[in-house]
Order: sequence, then structure tokens, then C-alpha cells
Amino acid sequence: MDFDLILRVFPYFLQAAVVTIELSVYSTALGLVCAALGTFARLSRHKMLRAIGTTYVSVIRGTPALIQLFILYFGGPQIGIQLDAFEAGVIGLGVNIGAYMTETMRGAIIAVDKGQTEAARTLGLSRTQAMRKVVLPQAARLMVRPLGVNINAQIKGTALVAAISVVELTYTAQRYIGSTYKPFEMFLLAGALYMVIIYVVGICVTYLDRKVALK
Amino acid sequence: MKTISNLFKSALAAGVMVVATLGVSQSVQADELDTIKENGVMRIAMSGAYPPFNFVNEQNEVVGFDPAIGAEIAKRLGVEVEVVTTAWDGIIGGLLANKYDAIVGSMSITDERKKVVDFVGPYYRMSRGIFVKQGSDVADLAGLEGRKIGVTLGETHEQWAQEQEGWEVRTYKGLPELLLELDNGRIDAIVTDDIPVLLAIRENGNAITQLDTSGLAGVADQAGIAIRKGNPELHKAMQAALDAIQEDGTYLAIAEEWVGGDIR
Amino acid sequence: MGLDFAVVPEYLDRLLLGSAWTIGITLAAAALSFFGGILFAVIALYAPAFVRWPFKAFAWLFMGTPLLLQLFLIYFGLIQIGIDLPAVVAGVIGLGLHFAVYNSDIIQAGIRAVDNGQYEAGRTLGLSQAQTIRKIVVPQAVRAVVPPIGNNMIALLKDSALVSVIGVTELTLSSQLAISKTFRPFEFYLAAAACYYVINLALEAGLHRIERRIQVAR
Repeated sequence: MDFDLILRVFPYFLQAAVVTIELSVYSTALGLVCAALGTFARLSRHKMLRAIGTTYVSVIRGTPALIQLFILYFGGPQIGIQLDAFEAGVIGLGVNIGAYMTETMRGAIIAVDKGQTEAARTLGLSRTQAMRKVVLPQAARLMVRPLGVNINAQIKGTALVAAISVVELTYTAQRYIGSTYKPFEMFLLAGALYMVIIYVVGICVTYLDRKVALK
Repeated sequence: MKTISNLFKSALAAGVMVVATLGVSQSVQADELDTIKENGVMRIAMSGAYPPFNFVNEQNEVVGFDPAIGAEIAKRLGVEVEVVTTAWDGIIGGLLANKYDAIVGSMSITDERKKVVDFVGPYYRMSRGIFVKQGSDVADLAGLEGRKIGVTLGETHEQWAQEQEGWEVRTYKGLPELLLELDNGRIDAIVTDDIPVLLAIRENGNAITQLDTSGLAGVADQAGIAIRKGNPELHKAMQAALDAIQEDGTYLAIAEEWVGGDIR
Repeated sequence: MGLDFAVVPEYLDRLLLGSAWTIGITLAAAALSFFGGILFAVIALYAPAFVRWPFKAFAWLFMGTPLLLQLFLIYFGLIQIGIDLPAVVAGVIGLGLHFAVYNSDIIQAGIRAVDNGQYEAGRTLGLSQAQTIRKIVVPQAVRAVVPPIGNNMIALLKDSALVSVIGVTELTLSSQLAISKTFRPFEFYLAAAACYYVINLALEAGLHRIERRIQVAR
């Protein structure tokens, strides 16, 4: 184990960790937007909207994220979509996690007792009002923990963009291996930084979950 | 097939309209020399895993012979240089996909590649080498039959190795993996350009020896700089810059610094 | 550069061969992740502390790092300490262990949900602790958690694309080989995506049948 080398390259791994965090934050934000739209579509009364929502979830969840990224980044220009690697990474990962989060959100909304909606309707609330004032606040609390699981997966998923040449943690490790021939050290360093990010986020999610649950 | 592709096109175009606005739109007609000068930057691509031609130093900067040549050409065109590293097997795809303006990454000029890209250069001469571990029982080409041979996916050597009778060819993403795997003993030989390996032996003391392959015909290749087709102005300007670099001694200085000698 | 799907048929046999590899790797890794998951769950719940704690640390490491990194480490890292695994084996082990850790979490919850009375009853009937766990608790727990484990197996299928980075010529690497010859990424990645989607549908249908059979058996 070459500790000197690890210490010398450590600052550059920290910079790469920042890129990983940026990718995680932006793509998760985009994923939440996609998921909100996807959930809306899947629970809609319009057949067309429902079909769009179902297709989105099925196709994205039915194919590997790596392939989706490749199609967007390498294939996109063939049909006139020109993105740099970071943009393609954020959009590809965001749209991907959005499909999984759609299922999480939909599950939480369905899990809120049906009787609740009916009671609200009986009390004279419209369908939209019942959803907004009765179902969603309860569903939101149910969502925190499973969405946390989605986000955890997303942070690890950012490693995929190494394959489209975004210089984040994994690609930084790979590039250093190219000149140092020290795979063990480089991957351990990257792995340790992923763990710090993932467990810090995990603690935040647990804290948030407790807070909303106690209300 | 035409209708299917049109269908895909329209469906996808509709779906990702929002996405497309983020991208850079540029007119197809104009020679890219104008675009590069307008942007003030030339983006050059390489694998970043090919010392001494291109690799990442401890400060996480991409350095070596290729970026030095690329930077010098950019300087003479009056623009900045931006180095992109990407997997070798997707590097031409990336150029065609306009992810960068040129590949200055030790790419050998081949007829197959010439069908899809234009080459500036050549800017150095490379030759095919076959390497085995020190103390290996493989003594010559014939001894490689039935052995595991490592190559880099997308290199000319990959195709050549695939064509050989009785070789078990395994593809990897780059030279570092090849050297690691040869050292590990997972593969019996590697086929690659010889200079990087000879340098690795000299610098890191890798226990590797080169097979005598002097009997092989046509093993010498020329390395060129790949650009997208249909850019005569860019081609002319880059070629002129490269010629000037070779004439005024800059080339020799760069070659001395990174490779330790003239490699034309 | 427009689209031209006419280039695909020439490489179809390779894509199909790649698909076969993807299916094989997925099934092998899924089996490993299932039985590994049960073993890990039993260790986490019943093993003595000196076994349990190292295991927990191991699970913690696996859940906190990307699968891609784990695959690199298993293939290129382990050999530095003398453990030489062929790429396919490294891929199956990496995928299998990664998902075994996740399955173990689910199965632990399933075991906890099995009524404690069942365990007591098993012991009262004269079964040993190991017998009770193996014959009474685990079968009930596993039945209850088949749907979430099925989800993990579907995820595993898609993550099997990652073993392309350590040189296993499965579906993803097969399409990359075709692209390195034709320079047509869109067509081949789309073809690969279609193959994955079909395999995915078949896997979902298979899992669905298992779920139904287990429900009937109850």
C-alpha cells in the first residue's frame, strides 16, 4: 500500500468528490421533478396521460442506466441533441431516477387510506382539494424514507458517468490508475469518499424522517 | 428502414425538445475553423491512459506528448486548448458526435478510419509490438497459438489480433489494464504500439520483454490527428501549424521531453 | 450523421450471443444473491458477535460504495493480493454479493415479521435452534418477501451491464464492439436497450409466476 501516493493525490480526489456531489444534487432535483410529473400522469384520469406515465416508468426501469447514458451522450447528436458530458450525466441520471421515484411517490399516495379521500369528498372537498389537503401531506411523510433509498442509489449511480468521461470520483480513480498502476489504492480512496457522502446523506434522511414522523 | 428511423427521430425529437435547447446549436455549412476561432478554444480528445503520449500526472492534469502537440497547434491557431479524456473505444464516436474538435491521441491512420474522419499529419511513427512476461515460454509468433492475447478495444492491433489463427483474444479498455493483466499473468501476451511499453519498461522496470517480430510485414503505422470530415479550412490550418512546429524545432523539443528522442 | 438501422442485422448474432451471456450472468448472480441473502440475514440475526460484527462491517462497505467500484476492486484489485478470478466469475461474484447484501436487509425484516411463537413452537417440538431457523422461520420469511427480492433481481439484470467494464462480452460490450467497427452508437445502443427490455419483460413474467405459485402454496 502506497500511503504517500494516497496523500499526494487526496486533494484531487476531494475535488472529484465535489463533482460527484454536484451530479447527485442536480440529477436528484431533476428526478424529483420527473417523478412529480410521472406520478401525476400515472394517477391521472386521462387515458393518454396514464399511458405516457406507464411507458416512461416501464422503459426507463426496463433498460440499464448505462445504456440510457450512452444513447443520450453518444447517440444524441445523431438526432440533433448536443450535450456536454456533465449535462448528459445530469439529464440521463435524473430522468432515470425519476422513473424509480415515480413508483415511490405513487406507492406512498396509494398507501394513504382510500377512506381518507372519501371522507374528504363527503366533507365537500373537491377531488383536487382532497388530494392537496388530505392525501399529499400524509403521503409526503411516507415518502421520505423510500425516497432516501432512491437517493442513496443515485449517489452510487453517479459512478456510471465515468463511462461518458465526466471526471468524477470513479473516473478520477481510473485515470490515476492509468499513470500509477495502483488500482487497489485508487479504488479504496474513491470508495472511502463515496461512503462519507452516502452516510452523511443517510443521516440527514433519517433525521428528516424522524422529524416528519413526529408531527 | 427509412420510415422506422424517421419515426424514431420524430418521437425522440419530441420527447427531448427541452433537452435540446441546452445543447449548442451550430450551422452545418460553416467550416469548423471559424467556429473554433469564434469560441476561442479547440477541444482535443485522448484516452488519458497512454503514457508517455497522454496520461494524468499526480496533479490530475493531462500531460504528455499528445497534449503538448495539441496545445502547440492551438497556440498557432490563436486559440486556447481544452483537453478531454474519454474511453478509447468511443473516441471516434465522440468526435462524430461533436464532443470535441480533434483527436490528438496517438491514433494510427487507417483506411477504415479515413472513411469516417479526416487526418492531419502524420505526426509520429508507431510500430506494432508483441510483449510477453520475462521468463515466458513463448519465444516467437508461432508460440502464441492457443494463448490468451490482450489488446485494446478499438485499436488497429485488436483487429489484427482477431484475424490471427488460434489466438484467444481478450479486449481491454486501455494500456494500463493490458500491463496490469500481463503482470498478473491473466494473459500471455499483449499486442500494442511498442514505444509506450518500451518506456514503461525503462521507467517502471516492468518485467516484460518484446518478441522479435521483424518478420511481420506492414507493422509500421503513422499516428494522425483526426478531425470531422468536410472541414478543408480547418485541415489546412492545422496541417500548416503542424508543419511549422516540425520545422522550427518545437516538435523535437516536445519529443525529447516526453519520449526521449525523435519519433518521426 | 443521420440514422441507419440497416447496419444492425449484420451484428445481430453477436448481440444475441451477448444477450445469452447477460441472461446467464444475471441468473447465476441472482441465485448467489438469493442464497447469500438468506445466509447473511441469518448471520446478522443469530450469529455470535465475533461473526456478526465483521459481517456488518462488510455489509456497510458494500452498501456505501458503487457497484462499479466493487467490480473494479474485485477484478483488478484482488489479484494484487493473489486472488485471481476470471472476469465472468468476478462479475457474478460482484453482482451476487452486492445484491445479497440488499436481499439480506429485506430477509431480516421478513424473519423479524415471522411470529416469535413459531420459533418457540419449533424449539418446544424438540428442534434445535439451527433446525428451527432452517425449517420453520426462513421458509416463512422468504415467502413473505418474494416481491421485493424480485425487484432486486430486476435491478440486478440492468446492473449486469456494468460487468462490461471488466471485459465480459455481454450485451453492452457486444454493442460497443459493433460500434467500434461501425461508429454508429445510437443504432446499436438502442438495439441493446431493446434486448434488455425484452429480457426484462421475460424476467418480470417469470417472477410473477413464482409469486403466484407461492401465494397458492400458502
